[in-house]
Amino acid sequence: MSDDDRVFKALADPTRRHLLDRLFERDGRTLTELESELEMTRFGVMKHLRVLEEAGIVVTRRQGREKHHYLNPVPIRLIHDRWIDKYAEPRVSALAELKTRLEETG
Amino acid sequence: MTTMTAQATQVYQLFIKATPEQIWEALTKPEFTERYFHGSQIEITAERRRSLGPDGSVRGDSPTYEYDPPRRLVHGWRSLYDPELAEEPESRVTWEIEPQEGGYCKLTVVHDRLEDSPKTAEGVSGAGWMMVLSGLKTLLETGQPLAETGKEA
Repeated sequence: MSDDDRVFKALADPTRRHLLDRLFERDGRTLTELESELEMTRFGVMKHLRVLEEAGIVVTRRQGREKHHYLNPVPIRLIHDRWIDKYAEPRVSALAELKTRLEETG
Repeated sequence: MTTMTAQATQVYQLFIKATPEQIWEALTKPEFTERYFHGSQIEITAERRRSLGPDGSVRGDSPTYEYDPPRRLVHGWRSLYDPELAEEPESRVTWEIEPQEGGYCKLTVVHDRLEDSPKTAEGVSGAGWMMVLSGLKTLLETGQPLAETGKEA
């Protein structure tokens, strides 16, 4: 599996996207903190975090006895540059501009 | 859109197809940094990290705390290029280079101790470090700087 495949696979699950949103709000959480917000077993959350970690989107750092989870935005940025920016940007910005103009005059 | 306060500890990690020595050189020598770090000429020695803009202005001047080539580098950070940011207390940047299989290295950048420097945290978060790191990757893997890295962010 390529790096891109791992990132797409990691993002293709609502629970994992939810975990990313939680980390986006506040980084450096422990498994216990993340687990407390989800209707899921500790083992289930660990499994999802492992997929995110393998894709490089989540990076863990040990601090004493605790393991903290950090959001690593780089792989998503690289996906964005490679797969989204190229296809969407010119058209999206043209549409956004059209919307702004119509709403200003309307 | 979710609003957020920029994190007091920011972690960035990426894989670069280069040797630890090449990455170390690219991080510590001004002739490399000016090609991916917003045009800044950055020199890092065992004592200090000094950063100069293309016009010779001082963008950064902080102590080096750990200097272990080609594996680990820790230095202070103050954004002197902006008066508001320069007033905030010093934060800290840690670089870790870990060789992987297949000629790759894992590069981890941790920018922390930003608790009392919210404006600096905001300034470097997201696109700030990301531009620098993707520019570094492109430079090392292709020998070419990213098109946009010449201009100031």
